[in-house]
Amino acid sequence: MVIFENVTKIYRMGSEEIRALDNISLEIRDGEILVVMGPSGSGKSTFLHLAGCLDKPTFGRILMDGRDVSSLKEKELSRIRNKTIGFVFQQFNLLPRLTALENVELPMVYAGVPRKKRVEKAKKLLEMVGLSDRMKHKPSQLSGGQQQRVAIARALANDPKIILADEPTGNLDTKSGEVVINILKDLNRRGLTIVIVTHDPEVAIIAHRVIHLKDGKIVKEEVRV
Amino acid sequence: MSNKTRTFLSMLGITIGVAAVIAVVSLGQGTSESVRERKSSLGSNIIFIKPGRVGGTGGRIAPAVGDVLNEEDVKKMKQLCFTLSDITPVLQRQSVILFEEKNTIATIMGVYPSIFDMMDLKVKEGRPFFESDEGKRVIVLGEKVAEDLFEGVNPVGQKVYVITPTGKQGFTVIGVLEKSGQLLFFNPDNAVFLPFKTAQYRIFHTKKVSLIVAKTVSQDLTDTAVLEIDDYLYKKFRDENMYNIVSQEAILSTLNETMTILNLTLGGIAGISLLVGGIGIMNIMLVSVTERTREIGIRKALGATNSSILLQFLMESTIITLIAGIIGISLGALIADLVGKTVNLPVLITPEVVMLAIGVSTGVGLFFGVYPAYKASKLNPVDALRYE
Repeated sequence: MVIFENVTKIYRMGSEEIRALDNISLEIRDGEILVVMGPSGSGKSTFLHLAGCLDKPTFGRILMDGRDVSSLKEKELSRIRNKTIGFVFQQFNLLPRLTALENVELPMVYAGVPRKKRVEKAKKLLEMVGLSDRMKHKPSQLSGGQQQRVAIARALANDPKIILADEPTGNLDTKSGEVVINILKDLNRRGLTIVIVTHDPEVAIIAHRVIHLKDGKIVKEEVRV
Repeated sequence: MSNKTRTFLSMLGITIGVAAVIAVVSLGQGTSESVRERKSSLGSNIIFIKPGRVGGTGGRIAPAVGDVLNEEDVKKMKQLCFTLSDITPVLQRQSVILFEEKNTIATIMGVYPSIFDMMDLKVKEGRPFFESDEGKRVIVLGEKVAEDLFEGVNPVGQKVYVITPTGKQGFTVIGVLEKSGQLLFFNPDNAVFLPFKTAQYRIFHTKKVSLIVAKTVSQDLTDTAVLEIDDYLYKKFRDENMYNIVSQEAILSTLNETMTILNLTLGGIAGISLLVGGIGIMNIMLVSVTERTREIGIRKALGATNSSILLQFLMESTIITLIAGIIGISLGALIADLVGKTVNLPVLITPEVVMLAIGVSTGVGLFFGVYPAYKASKLNPVDALRYE
């Protein structure tokens, strides 16, 4: 579904060129749990941003359902981010002024879903992640684990095909991390493709496939069953 | 909380600007409206001919030339000036007027009967005087004079006395005028009217007249009439300083010009205040965009398009200025009301002005919000997400 073909991503930091990804070719397959591991600065986050249509490659092609991302207009990329992809971040990235329910509603707002339907769906999703009693709470009134579960509910709002999670357990204690990982595993069982970027080997346990990145290159690929 | 304080402070600029606009415009409109009312009540086709001022030596103000105009001039002008529909000499003086134990000060006016039509003065009780009353001891009272002297007693048929330097003269009240209010030159409510000859023989003892009031056939002939009168008087005196011709129209246009300049000046100040206010809004929106960089990144990751981010920030700046504008309108109305009451100026707040103020403040929000909103919409989502 998402194919990287000889993808290179170069950032400029002042006069310095940073080759964040270096000639990567890879396929994210439908229905798999792909874990991308590597030390910090290895290009994990860049990989995720490119897969999530938040950025475009410097060289090479990324095919999203057969369409070259580089050729797409900003509006179409927004639509893909909105409908096809669900993001889960290490920092949770909930909007602090909105309640849990409103945060989950947000992607549906951008998709033009009518208010009544939005609220209904958001409530259902929050129930699913076990937060039916925290809907009116602001992020600051929730624990890290609860915030991450709200973020997962938000990622699922528009029924995406793929969840991209950037260090989803990075800011959580072990127990909350386990809860989050189990939710992701459960979602995969229902047919969602899950990509997790992490440096936590515990998380990699649920992977079908693990890719190790270093200095922007794939150094190792493990297939687990 | 500090966000709210900051936003409130930025709103002040717009609030003050809008308040200034509203205050200035409502005072200006109120004044224009009242001038217009007086103009139509007096008729803008009235011309006053007064003796000029000459001499004036040392520190002394030149006195009016007293003995220049007489009844003969009135008769001649009536013949010569075709643009005049009516004309009357006026003998005018402040005097004490008595009824039994009460007295008051009134403007004594010795005039032709045509004055009532010319100045549109209507009789409330009794009747005005006619040509057949010339020389008779009759008097018509202004509304205020009648009220001061009679307090509820019907004045018609009563005898009042006018104090003159040579003694007191008695006159029978034949009519009382309706309340008129201040006209541009005098207030008929504080005046009493006598037939010209009566006033001449009984009170003023002179062949000269204080001033001449003329009315033109129509308003657009006023300028021509002024020229005709000037032509006659210049031929008589060979000196333009001996007389003074003032048309109601000229006074009003001067007044209007002054008002216009005042309005433009104050409007300009208000405009600058709005501009500065707008820059304040732009500033606060730019700060807000920077502070919310991460939020913008998150929104983009969730599927917000550039245009929806643009719209969000434009709406925020517009709502801020709209609220500021609404506060400004209330504040401006309050200021106009207070100023109006203090200096006794009429205030008129029309829906058009309110709509204009709302329009302007919304416009300022849109205009000064565009740049910050555009900046926000163009943020790269990856950079925005990384922003701490």
